[in-house]
Amino acid sequence: MHGRLKVKTTEEQAEAKRLEREKKLCHYVAATTAIFEKRKTGQLDKEALELTNQILGVNPDFATLWNFRREIILCLEQEGSSEEMQSLCRGELSFLESCLRVNPKSYGTWHHRCWVMEHVPNPDWARELELCAKFLEIDERNFHCWDYRRFVVQRAQVSAADELHFTDRLITRNFSNYSSWHYRSCLLPRLHPDPQQPGRPTEAVLLKELELVQNAFFTDPNDQSAWFYHRWLLGRAEPEPTILCVYVSREDSSLAVAFSQPVVVTPGSCDLLLFADEAPLTVNWRTPDGRNRPGLMWLCDLPASALNEHWPQHIFRVHWAGGQSQKECVLFKGRSDGWCRDSVTEEQMFRCELSVEKSTVLQSELESCKELQALEPENKWCLLTIILLMRALDPLVYERETLSYFDTLKAADPMRSAYLDDLRSRFLVENSILRMEYAEARVVDLSGRGLTVLCHLEQLPLVTHLNLAGNRLRGLPPALAMLRCLQVLELDGNQIETLEGLPPLPRLEELSACSNRIQRPSNLRPLASFPKLHLLALRGNPLGDLPDAQSELAALLPRVEITLA
Amino acid sequence: MKSCQHESGGISASIGHDLTFYIPLVLSRFLPYVVDVIKLWTTYKACKKKMDHLPETNGGTPQKDVVIKPDAPSTLFLEKHADYIASYGAKKDDYEYCMSEYLRMSGVYWGLTVMDLMGQLQRMTKEEILAFIKSCQHECGGISASIGHDPHLLYTLSAVQILTLYDSLHVVDVNKIVDYVKSLQKEDGSFAGDKWGEIDTRFSFCAAATLALLGKLDVVDVEKAVEFVLSCMNFDGGFGCRPGSESHAGQIYCCTGFLAITGQLHQINADLLGWWLCERQLPSGGLNGRPEKVDPFHTLFGIAGLSLLGDEQIKPVSPVFCMPEDILQRINVQPELVS
Repeated sequence: MHGRLKVKTTEEQAEAKRLEREKKLCHYVAATTAIFEKRKTGQLDKEALELTNQILGVNPDFATLWNFRREIILCLEQEGSSEEMQSLCRGELSFLESCLRVNPKSYGTWHHRCWVMEHVPNPDWARELELCAKFLEIDERNFHCWDYRRFVVQRAQVSAADELHFTDRLITRNFSNYSSWHYRSCLLPRLHPDPQQPGRPTEAVLLKELELVQNAFFTDPNDQSAWFYHRWLLGRAEPEPTILCVYVSREDSSLAVAFSQPVVVTPGSCDLLLFADEAPLTVNWRTPDGRNRPGLMWLCDLPASALNEHWPQHIFRVHWAGGQSQKECVLFKGRSDGWCRDSVTEEQMFRCELSVEKSTVLQSELESCKELQALEPENKWCLLTIILLMRALDPLVYERETLSYFDTLKAADPMRSAYLDDLRSRFLVENSILRMEYAEARVVDLSGRGLTVLCHLEQLPLVTHLNLAGNRLRGLPPALAMLRCLQVLELDGNQIETLEGLPPLPRLEELSACSNRIQRPSNLRPLASFPKLHLLALRGNPLGDLPDAQSELAALLPRVEITLA
Repeated sequence: MKSCQHESGGISASIGHDLTFYIPLVLSRFLPYVVDVIKLWTTYKACKKKMDHLPETNGGTPQKDVVIKPDAPSTLFLEKHADYIASYGAKKDDYEYCMSEYLRMSGVYWGLTVMDLMGQLQRMTKEEILAFIKSCQHECGGISASIGHDPHLLYTLSAVQILTLYDSLHVVDVNKIVDYVKSLQKEDGSFAGDKWGEIDTRFSFCAAATLALLGKLDVVDVEKAVEFVLSCMNFDGGFGCRPGSESHAGQIYCCTGFLAITGQLHQINADLLGWWLCERQLPSGGLNGRPEKVDPFHTLFGIAGLSLLGDEQIKPVSPVFCMPEDILQRINVQPELVS
């Protein structure tokens, strides 16, 4: 019938679409061919600019074309006056803005804008700041725009204080704040640096910030960003590496140095200096695994002259990084070893000592979080924050409660179970070490704690007996070799499959690894290099079912008494 | 990831998928069990071209995620993926193919690497590719994405990765590549992507990976380069493009890769970064790139991600270089991971 709209079938629609794309592609290819031709023949002119306009408008990631535009502009800059350059750049900025409206996330577009702003004769930075504000209004998480803003701020010398106010405004708008909190984490230490903690703001500022972030997460407990930021506020700066312990062994003729952070000792350098009875001693430092990569422990061999058993005593002094940290230990006549070790609590190894003010604030925060948790029992961020607050306030007093919260948190957020188990393990090891301190213990019991990972082994070089039975360990870290004094190691009832990668433990005499998941003798190959090992228990492992297990093990470990059944 | 497979093979640009590779990539470097591997593995219920965005309304800020339909495939269509890649470059007049010419070298690297991981490299046209790469090396030594395009570190790395895969570095002037990379390092240790000066930690990774594959890492000031990358570490343990930039999973991949290559992984706060990364995993099992952001994806990264998670049909992939492990073993470039 006449006058009626003809409705296309889906087939016809698809065909029409295909033809349209083909036409677009044709046009695209023609334009790019023309552009490359002009470039090849050195025609750096306005027509070339116009051609690239069309392409970059739809495909701003075509980086070579932005390069070409820059070449053209530089060429025109040579030929024209300053006003013409100004006008050209203005045009460029306008074109860039239209590109950004189509695609605000192209690296090429933003970088070109930076370049233009660095070339324009009279840059209008205020206008650029406004542009940023506009784009952030559209998408507050656009990191390209934030990075551009920081570029503008630096060129225009906008103050950090002003930028802080800018984030204030965004945060009170209460939506998608991660980028703003992140920016604050950069601005605050710049505005109010804590001289004792590089990269962190002063305590006064931290306390105010805690109040601010608390408001944020109580207003919207599901906004992740405030909780992430809060964890940073609770933290502290990484301290410079210090020497935790120096241990000298007459038996091994060796000296071990344990550090608080991984360090590198460059051969032939003055990084780590050793003085034996006031005289400098040249030694070769190595890590326990011999690979000399950044590590927490460095060892050296001592010459016989440094260990004369008739002398009443030998004094060993170790200097790190030009005296940044030093320690001295004494080896008395008749004694097989000597050591000097830091106090974990005094040196604030695991947590900062809190001022009364900070302690009060955190205590009240803990109470408020518990109230929130009662209202929103499924909120995992709140649960984790409660744990972190308890940790900061008093790890030992809150231990039982912390473990209970871990259970609740794992139930609320099962996807993070593995991470939470590891975190929980770290806290338990820390607590054990804190308790050890009071007893001056060399026997450590970490059994039955559900540990999934071991850490802080650099704190245990003096331990002689370690019980790790009944945990959930899948393997042993090479760092275990830092336990230079370890004589007895209990590993029964874990999930250990192999000891591959474990460097020799120089003093280990007895190893019990019953009820694990060791499949075959080759999984125990490293034990062949353990000089003192003479007892090995392996009941309840899959390798017990192998027909030749006993003989293979005997061949691998001839000096060791092995129980397989 | 299996849930985003297409009938034609290939894995769609879909929520979280390139990050689904980056994250296991980074985590496998130092916290192998942090991501809920079971959940990620069993996220196979749907195959669809359009993903539904379902905000999770727990009151307050919605969390963008996908819904996986009950009839989605639960097996990996490895052959279909291989077919998809093998025929990808054939239709030279395909719209998307033309539009993506600006990254062709990287596209070839993705395609070849995924084919090799699936044991299908022989289906690709080696000689044609080698000739292509040769014609993309410029006077300055740098390599471009395609013929006629300008050289850039991104494509220089991709080219070197391809040539390493094919054991054919001789088709280019390696010394000039080394000179090119070296020339892009700035005083503060950072690397520009090309002569036009864009600074980004992605380029620090490109530089380090390129030189490491060529055995020439020592031509640049490694200490300064490390200093610059570390200056991009943020409050949350992550890394951004430049100092002061927000953390992003892609950048984190580049920076941890860089630190692995330069033997500096101990400088990372594993507890903090591990937490940030495992929080990228959404209820569907997929991963986003940063808090409350959703990103699209590539077939290579989906397959490589599965390799890192232990899929036995796929060859082991290096989490540092995103290349097959056996290739890196051949050239003896296997940086330490965090133990």
